Amino acid sequence: MLHIKCPHCGMRSQNEFSYGGDATVKRPELNKEISDQDWDNFVYYRKSLRGKHKELWQHISGCRQWIKVERDTATHEIFKTVKAHEDI
Amino acid sequence: MSSISALNATHSKGLFGDHEGKNDDELLKVSELKDFLIIQIVKYKSSLTAIENIKIDNLSLKNEALNISCNANTRILWNGPNNWLLISSKKETLKEINEKLLEADFAITNVSHSRAIIQIEGKNTKEILKKGCPFNFNELKKDTCLNSTYNGMSVTIDMIDDNPEKVRIFTLRSFGESFYHSITDACLEFGYKGI
Repeated sequence: MLHIKCPHCGMRSQNEFSYGGDATVKRPELNKEISDQDWDNFVYYRKSLRGKHKELWQHISGCRQWIKVERDTATHEIFKTVKAHEDI
Repeated sequence: MSSISALNATHSKGLFGDHEGKNDDELLKVSELKDFLIIQIVKYKSSLTAIENIKIDNLSLKNEALNISCNANTRILWNGPNNWLLISSKKETLKEINEKLLEADFAITNVSHSRAIIQIEGKNTKEILKKGCPFNFNELKKDTCLNSTYNGMSVTIDMIDDNPEKVRIFTLRSFGESFYHSITDACLEFGYKGI
């Protein structure tokens, strides 16, 4: 079981969190013309990295806040957690 | 209008589990708490109001994790950043909340009838919590609270006292019956008194 340090609440079990996907994906700017390919990449395509990965998690059974987590997808080691609006 | 408590048809009084040959102090005491005013207070992100100047029932809204402001009647539990759960035995507190917390700055929701509340008291209280909740309860001190899960159900745990240990656990009313059975099953090992 993973333990994730919520920047608001402290160290908590993974059971209290919900995975929210890749934190590096950026939504295309509003009102900007983009190709179908770019839109497709934003909506569907994700890298499946081995190693350090920046992820979004929500502390769904705790403070209900979204956070960013830097985690190794191979070892599950968690290097850093920050609030959602902060850069990791 | 009369209200029916969440565990009205579920909670049983009496002695249960491994209670034989034990005196009252050794048994856990499980009870349903009802008739509380429970208000969820959320400060809007856009609000510029300073919470330090606000007092409800002479208690301040503190933005510190796990923190509780309390007096004899009211407890204000930290539920998240700019998010609190107020529990009061004084129904008039709602009027005070509506006067002091402006609609433009705060979302005020009365959730009094949508929570089931179980109180557990006794020296093995933390053992009961440890059976279903992944939090390290050795860190939980008097007048602190946390949100977590108990056997998969979202709960808010309020540590009322630590000698003897006494906690109030809040869960959604719809989870009430399942949650009650989870708690009482966990209590059987130590013996408990439903009061």
